[in-house]
Amino acid sequence: MKPHNLVVILLICIAAATVTPASAGPADVTVTSSTLDPSVLMKGDVGTLTVEIKNNGADGVAIRSARLYGSGVVGLSDPYPSVGDIGAGTTKTFTFTVRADGGEGTFYPTLVIDFQNDGTLRHPVPILVEDTPLTATIVGKPDAFSEGKRADIAIQVGNPRPNDVSGVQVIPQGTGFTTTPTGAFIGALATDEARTVPFNLTPEGETDVAFTVSWRNGINAHAVDLTLPVTFGEDKRQADLFITNIEVTPEAGRYRILGDVMNAGLEPARSVLITPGSSAIPTDPFRVYVVGTLDPDDAAPFEVTFRTDGNATTIPIIAEYRDDDGNRYVMTAVVDLGGTAAPSAERDEGIPMTGIVVAILIAIGVIGAIFYSWRRK
Amino acid sequence: MDTGFLRVLFDPGRFFEERMRGEAGLKIPALIILAYGIVGAVAAALMVNVIIAILPGEAQAYAAFGIAIAVIGALIMGYLMWIACAVILYAISMIFKGEGTFTRTLEFTGYGFLPQFIGSIIGAAFSYQIISNLTIPPMTNIEQIAEVSESLAGIIATDPLMQISGVLSLLFVLWSANILIFGMKYARNLSTRDAALTVGIPTALYAVYILATITGWV
Repeated sequence: MKPHNLVVILLICIAAATVTPASAGPADVTVTSSTLDPSVLMKGDVGTLTVEIKNNGADGVAIRSARLYGSGVVGLSDPYPSVGDIGAGTTKTFTFTVRADGGEGTFYPTLVIDFQNDGTLRHPVPILVEDTPLTATIVGKPDAFSEGKRADIAIQVGNPRPNDVSGVQVIPQGTGFTTTPTGAFIGALATDEARTVPFNLTPEGETDVAFTVSWRNGINAHAVDLTLPVTFGEDKRQADLFITNIEVTPEAGRYRILGDVMNAGLEPARSVLITPGSSAIPTDPFRVYVVGTLDPDDAAPFEVTFRTDGNATTIPIIAEYRDDDGNRYVMTAVVDLGGTAAPSAERDEGIPMTGIVVAILIAIGVIGAIFYSWRRK
Repeated sequence: MDTGFLRVLFDPGRFFEERMRGEAGLKIPALIILAYGIVGAVAAALMVNVIIAILPGEAQAYAAFGIAIAVIGALIMGYLMWIACAVILYAISMIFKGEGTFTRTLEFTGYGFLPQFIGSIIGAAFSYQIISNLTIPPMTNIEQIAEVSESLAGIIATDPLMQISGVLSLLFVLWSANILIFGMKYARNLSTRDAALTVGIPTALYAVYILATITGWV
């Protein structure tokens, strides 16, 4: 071989050695996965985006920086200013804090990775923003509320969102009522699931009860209110007492009223008491008549005795009763005394002792006179 | 001690025995019946006065008339009762072959009303006590008057004072019967047993009636 041929071959080898790269290029680095927590953001939510890249090349790749940018969903955390090498066949994870600043929809913030050797990887990461809240509905309530009467309320909480939520609670808010329990904890609620929570609500007056359903989407707290107007009305099922078949009997020093009390409602009346009302002075033997429990469509006789001040022409007869929760109700029936003479309230009740003493003395005198007349015969 | 006709209350045997020595006289018995009738008239007037008080204004104009009717009725009733009692006793005594004039029987029966007179005073006092304690609402129509009258009757009938009064009246009836036993013994010349039966039978029937009234059987 000639000497100049040898030099040419040597130069070609040198050139070849110079052209061959020292490491793998940007083309070998790919984004293998991205995850968002929570998986679906609501407007204003803050989430954590984790992106994993892999070096598919045979040699390591030097990465200068990594950052995320875009609109609608913006990165809150600082970019990675100096990343370093990613070895051949290895992966690297980048985590960004993002916030949904735009409206609803799918946004594509871009992950930008700058390589040491003038290369750049741009990868759009899809992020779904949906503002659908949890739903709260009243699935159980009475036909009407009554003051002080316990009502059973059932609230159903549903999750129409495309992702699971956690920390779901239902808390009644407002004044003028009491509830048991004071709040209900549901916890995690998977997508398209629903839970029902019961409450016992006892209103003290007409009011609005706000049931606040709160939950967390990732680290973001959300709430929605469900308002239940509490207005008093007639309970269609409650006990309904009527006093009938009244018979007023004036007696010496008092009146005696006989009658029937009937329950025309659909629920039993408990602890039914019958008493004469104001302007009447209850007297023995029936100052008060305890009927007890009166079932629906049932009737019971009662009897009360009382005196009046002599001027009363009507007397209220009061029927007190309670429902199953112990709430007290009062029903009043006015009984007309106008057609009867009024025994005086000033006379003592019962047998007049003075009259008895006089009668005994007279009896002794008469018997003595009769006895005397036979002795003198 | 001579206490006049009042002696009949405590010593009727001797009183009637002495009266048999003289002619039959109806003056004192008639006065006794008059006094008995007056007491009854006062009691009736009190009751009528209560009734009149509840009548409507225009009806109260007849108050005096109503009271007068009650008084006259009570007086007449006293004499009618006297005569009726005498007739009954005279008739029953005939069963025991009693002898004596009806006038004598009438005289002695009149004396027998003396305890009734005392009893009627006490009864009137008891009735006044009951009536004065009643408050009666003003009435505007005839239905209310009927109701009040009925309730008044109920009140008076159930009043313990009235029941005590009933028992007392029974005692005075027994006292009268005791006097009349002696009266019939002498007026109709009966044995004590026959006189007791003559007086006892109607008295027992009357006592049963009084007891039935007190206990509410009738």
